[in-house]
Amino acid sequence: MSRRDEELQEEIAAHLRMAIADRMARGASRDEAERAARREFGNVTHVAEVTREAQRGPALWLERLAQDLRYGWRALRRTPAFTAVAVATLALAIGANSAVFTVVNSVLLAPLPFRDPGRLYAASYLPADLPFELPPGLDDRLYLEYRGHVSRFEQVAGYQRQALTLSGAGDATRLAGARASANFFEVLGVQPALGRAFTPQEDQAGTDQVVILSDRLWRTRFNGDRSVLGATITLDGIPRTVIGVMPRGFTFPAASELWTPLALRLDAGNSFIFPVVGRLRAGATPDQAKSELEAIAGAMPQDPRTAGSHPAAAIIPLKQTLTSHVRTSLLVLAGAVLFVLLIACANVANLLLIRAATRRHEMAVRVALGASRGRIARQLLTESVLIGLIGGAFGILVAFAGVRGLLAMAPAGRIPRVDEVQVNGWVLHFTLAVTLITGILFGLVPAKSGARREPQEALGQGMRLMGGPHYRLRSVFVTGEIALALILLTGAGLMIKSFLIMRSLDTGYDASRVVTMAVDLPPIAFPDAARMQAFHTALLERLARIPGARAVGAVSFRPMSDMGIMGDFQAESPTPLPHGYTVDKTTVSPGYFGALGIRMLAGRDFTVADRAGAPGVVVVSEAVARRIWPNQSAVGKRISMQDHPGPNDWLSVIGVVNDVVQDEHLSRHSTIYLPYLQTTLPFFISHMTFVVRPAPQAGNLAPEMRAALRDVDPAVPAQALQTMDESMLDTIAEPVFQMRLLTAFAILALLLAALGTYGVLAYDVTERTREIGLRIALGATPGNVLRMVLRRTAALALVGAALGILGSLALTSVLSKSLFEVKPTDPATLAAVTAVLVLAALLAGYLPAQRATRIRALTALLQD
Amino acid sequence: MTGPRGLSRIELLQGTLDLIVLQTLRWGPSHGYGIAQAIRASSEDVLQVDTGSLYPALHRLERKGWIAAEWSTSENKQRVRVYRLTVEGRKQLARERSQWEQLSRAIGAVLAPPAPRGNEP
Repeated sequence: MSRRDEELQEEIAAHLRMAIADRMARGASRDEAERAARREFGNVTHVAEVTREAQRGPALWLERLAQDLRYGWRALRRTPAFTAVAVATLALAIGANSAVFTVVNSVLLAPLPFRDPGRLYAASYLPADLPFELPPGLDDRLYLEYRGHVSRFEQVAGYQRQALTLSGAGDATRLAGARASANFFEVLGVQPALGRAFTPQEDQAGTDQVVILSDRLWRTRFNGDRSVLGATITLDGIPRTVIGVMPRGFTFPAASELWTPLALRLDAGNSFIFPVVGRLRAGATPDQAKSELEAIAGAMPQDPRTAGSHPAAAIIPLKQTLTSHVRTSLLVLAGAVLFVLLIACANVANLLLIRAATRRHEMAVRVALGASRGRIARQLLTESVLIGLIGGAFGILVAFAGVRGLLAMAPAGRIPRVDEVQVNGWVLHFTLAVTLITGILFGLVPAKSGARREPQEALGQGMRLMGGPHYRLRSVFVTGEIALALILLTGAGLMIKSFLIMRSLDTGYDASRVVTMAVDLPPIAFPDAARMQAFHTALLERLARIPGARAVGAVSFRPMSDMGIMGDFQAESPTPLPHGYTVDKTTVSPGYFGALGIRMLAGRDFTVADRAGAPGVVVVSEAVARRIWPNQSAVGKRISMQDHPGPNDWLSVIGVVNDVVQDEHLSRHSTIYLPYLQTTLPFFISHMTFVVRPAPQAGNLAPEMRAALRDVDPAVPAQALQTMDESMLDTIAEPVFQMRLLTAFAILALLLAALGTYGVLAYDVTERTREIGLRIALGATPGNVLRMVLRRTAALALVGAALGILGSLALTSVLSKSLFEVKPTDPATLAAVTAVLVLAALLAGYLPAQRATRIRALTALLQD
Repeated sequence: MTGPRGLSRIELLQGTLDLIVLQTLRWGPSHGYGIAQAIRASSEDVLQVDTGSLYPALHRLERKGWIAAEWSTSENKQRVRVYRLTVEGRKQLARERSQWEQLSRAIGAVLAPPAPRGNEP
């Protein structure tokens, strides 16, 4: 106690002494005098408290806050179970929010790590009516024209992702990289940390044998040695001089490890489309840049091959082009995790209401001792914010773990800017803001109603209203929790159903254990188709000798790959082919269909006899056969890959196989298969995937396949060495990721909602002990009591579920892009999750209901 | 705090109590009990000052420098805290007195309007 407080106590004591003395002097007995003096003086503690407040004046609020915090801390420590549950609930919810925000912030919100990134835009001029989606870009001729005439951009740079094989230094490795125009780094505003960028001279075909390394590649592969500048490394068999190393963290585009000059080489027969990025001139708008692009493109001579297509100009913020494909799913996750936070808030608010009710006595004493209503409200609010802050502090730990978990779970290479994801100042500020808002949010109602309580009501004995105080408010919170949980469960349920459909999908092949291995043959080492065919033949023979290999084959683009060659063709058919009818053109080896479990529906497979010089043959898939030769046999018919086939350009159909699911949308493609030994176009066979079907007892064949490849050509690295099942999982990795997270959040929401229901009903039963006791005394059976409590549970659950169903119908359409053959309003899913939720709520209500049946009439009526 | 316009009930009471305390101390230093008794006596038992208002008022006036306090020994050898008016306090008393007089005149005028003249039948 401070000196000032002692003096105040002394002053009050003196007052009382004098008052007593006066009264005794007037003839009162000592006892009478003391009683009267005290009665007149009033509440000593209250007088001391208000006087102290008057002494301190305006600086008081800080001391009050400290006092409230101390008091709150003591109060929380007195109820460790409540505190632990509330803090754990909040830590999980806040931590999950911070973790998701970390990813959203780094991927969607944070500016790109370039100079003045808001002025970077992608320029695009592509046909709008293509059957497939192209990333924004310009074709090579337009790029050259645009680069020379553009004025709204300071300058524009072209680039193109590429994969290169680095050989010579250690094992041959396939690396992600990019071709980039000379001004690419200048446009982005990032300069090499070591060495220099490309010169315009090096951006010309023929003088472009230079390369710039990423910081990571330089450190891991070249030990961070500065003498690498000027050294020569071999990429795809071509020697290139290292002229620079980019600063740490620069990996644009998409985790590039090295950059080579774009060095355009125009091809008379083809155009090459690639992304173009520009730095907008100060004062220019994207709209002006778009008009300018239209004008420049419009002034170019029309290419007869693209006549009839309708290109559309677009100037798109660079960041948007990088992140648009993950935007929806990230925002869905952010919304889901926000729901979890709201449920947690409702839960903690409910706990606080229950706790406030059990503390009525304490509050009433404080009011009676002179604490003002405002003071008590502030005290309760301080407590809830304190709970929030403790929860938030643990939440940050949860967030660190959560971010790690998210990144580990995230499909590799699918989330852009993933190396920029980190818990930073923004995240901490976000967490603090969320913490304070939630602390106030869940504390406000209990604080307001806690302070309203009349002391005599609480101090008075035997006050037991039906259901106790805040009965309705608690019901509202629980109903809201159940509704939100149902929405999350619906989302998770839809994703799970979609996943199950995808997993049980008839892919058209039977190859879950088949191991694949892809290779890319660089043109330097394999200048023509004959040398590529020789490589493939050698590797197929070597693979067939692996013990445990039951069947082997090769295919240019396997099912579930993100690449393929599409095109049109000519056919001998009674009716002309529909305009724009395109098929996949896939090159395979004999035995491929068998190795992958694709069924021959008619005719025969290729054999090694279908080689150069032998009559040209193809196998078509069922959809092609049915489309072109309906109701007749396709075998024996003829097609041609040439636009204007000569007499020797016709190929005979020798077989029909079933269609297979080919792409990431899991759609079945119409395909024409060509034998690799008759393929003369190098790009039909330069990329090849070898498949090996293991014998039933065989172990993992991957190491042996790698060894086989090394035997055939050590300079060719093995890629995508995995089973077909893994490829499938890879293909659906994004929806699976979303499904897992949504399911995790939904389970968390379900548990929280069940906990909330349990808490409220348990409290109800305690509050109504007398009433239930009375009912039992009047003859209610345990069954009656059980039903009474469960009826209330069911009412809460059903109202919540009804609201949740409405919410689901309104919200789940955001998932439609991630769902495969499931409607966002799938009634079966809604019914299933509603059943799960109502069951969980009834289970949560059953324990308190059980307890209610054990209430003994006499004890209950005698309590208080 | 409210501005000069709204004479809230609490402020009026508090201001009035301040005035009464200052006025009481004009007759000489006194302790809290003495002040309470003096107010009671001089108001002919009409005003009974609640200690929960008196002590905060005394300490507030002390903080504002209008009264000063010191410990002294009473007639029966007991330590008591004695308050006296400061020079500032005297000025404040004069200000508050004139305000109070204005106010009470005004209220008096409202409550006892002069009899209407000339219209009598």
